[in-house]
Amino acid sequence: MRNKIAVISLMLVCAGCSSMGVQPWEREVLAREEMQLTVDPVEAATDDHIYFSKEASSGGRGFGGGGCGCN
Amino acid sequence: MAGVGVTDMQKPGKTAERSVSATLAAATCALLGTTVAAPVDAQEEPKWGFNTSLLYYGEDEDRVQDASFKSMVRRLFADDRTLSLGLTVDALTGATPSGAIRQDGPQTFTRPSGNDSYTVPAGDLPLDDTFRDTRVAITAGWQQPAGEMGLLSVGLSASSEYDYLHTGLNASYAHDFNNRNTTVSAGVSFASDSIEPVGGAPIPLTGMLDVDDTSNRLGDQDKDVLDVVFGVTQVITRNLVVQANYSFSQSDGYLNNPYKFLSLVDGVTGDTLPRIPGPEGGPGGQFLFESRPDERTQHSLYAQAKYYLNGNVIDASYRFMTDDWEIDSHTLDLRYRWPLGATSYLEPHLRYYTQSEAEFYRLSLDSSQALPQFASSDYRLGNFDAITAGLKFGWKTRNDNDMSVRVEWYTQSGTVPTAQLIGNQAARDNYPDLNALIVQFSYRFSR
Repeated sequence: MRNKIAVISLMLVCAGCSSMGVQPWEREVLAREEMQLTVDPVEAATDDHIYFSKEASSGGRGFGGGGCGCN
Repeated sequence: MAGVGVTDMQKPGKTAERSVSATLAAATCALLGTTVAAPVDAQEEPKWGFNTSLLYYGEDEDRVQDASFKSMVRRLFADDRTLSLGLTVDALTGATPSGAIRQDGPQTFTRPSGNDSYTVPAGDLPLDDTFRDTRVAITAGWQQPAGEMGLLSVGLSASSEYDYLHTGLNASYAHDFNNRNTTVSAGVSFASDSIEPVGGAPIPLTGMLDVDDTSNRLGDQDKDVLDVVFGVTQVITRNLVVQANYSFSQSDGYLNNPYKFLSLVDGVTGDTLPRIPGPEGGPGGQFLFESRPDERTQHSLYAQAKYYLNGNVIDASYRFMTDDWEIDSHTLDLRYRWPLGATSYLEPHLRYYTQSEAEFYRLSLDSSQALPQFASSDYRLGNFDAITAGLKFGWKTRNDNDMSVRVEWYTQSGTVPTAQLIGNQAARDNYPDLNALIVQFSYRFSR
């Protein structure tokens, strides 16, 4: 059931996408480094590792992390 | 502050530099299994990118301390193909809660190795102070365009600790649609880990034995983890980009923590049942090693938005996680990047996390009742809230390298469900609250 809800939500999001967005010459701001979804991958990996070690949840932004005996 | 972009664009070569670093960031994100908004075309000469950090993580009350060095090197080849290599070295020391409850008298435990014993003073939270490890982790990733609108990434990872070995493979594909305003991605990762606990993995729910008695220890254990991530990234306006991910994670195998145990208590007083240690020494109370299911399935929904507001950047994300251990969690993360002049910025960070306890979370085991099949008193499977508050300062050096320093405080506070408290336990502080300091220095440059 949860899977179905997730798939339907994704489809709805995609259907709405075609009317959104910008032209290629309107990307000045979006191309800026600080507007990338992950600005500093090393820092993001550090945080994922810390929270994987200390909490029962992991991932979300990407793969679940882990690969360590800290949990 | 809004003029930063204009100034940058007037310098020849500056935009090229920026797009290379954005592409390199994209490559590394792919390595981590994340997706990026809009691929930035880079037609420049092959370049190197370096991203290095030093981290200190320290918990108060002599608990876990970690000094960590992390470095990623990326090589950009012709036609947007990228090779990424990463190295992490962690040096860990300190004490960690063993899972036993506090008692009014001193408590003696056998060390995980089985070679010795240690005593915790009366009233103290039992900590296992033998925690000491060095972890070395490596990653390698390759990314290349697949057709006009696709991006293919493959990677591998491995890490080694004294008692743990990890190997993993991952692959993801991202496809742009709609004038590159929409990116749909899918990724899969598989990890195969082996666990070689100090002294051997104890048989779940068997008692802690005397020093030198290893009759309830098993050999090495293993576990497999399969992760699948689907994502959509959408440009909404010139200043706003959003992402939504669904991820699924399936773990199979040995999911216990071999060093954690529970106190077996009297059903009326709630105090740990006494035990007579043998001549070699051993525990003075009855403690049973934890038992978790050998399967876990997690589902997560993650959403992130980045908004550019007059030179400032607001970064907000939310994650919901639910699993078949009956843990639900919510995570809210907010960052605000505030430029100070043309070359530096301040970034306050606030994160709130809350989780419910696993269905088999128990503060202790009641000896007047039948033993449950699964039980763990690991505080990380309990009911708690956590807050991270931090501040980062970043600046560009004269030769255009990026540096940053961040300081963050992480605090956890939890509660044991009232229904689990027996007798004297109600008057004690049962949950091991956690306070940690995180300091990280990062240095990035490309050549």
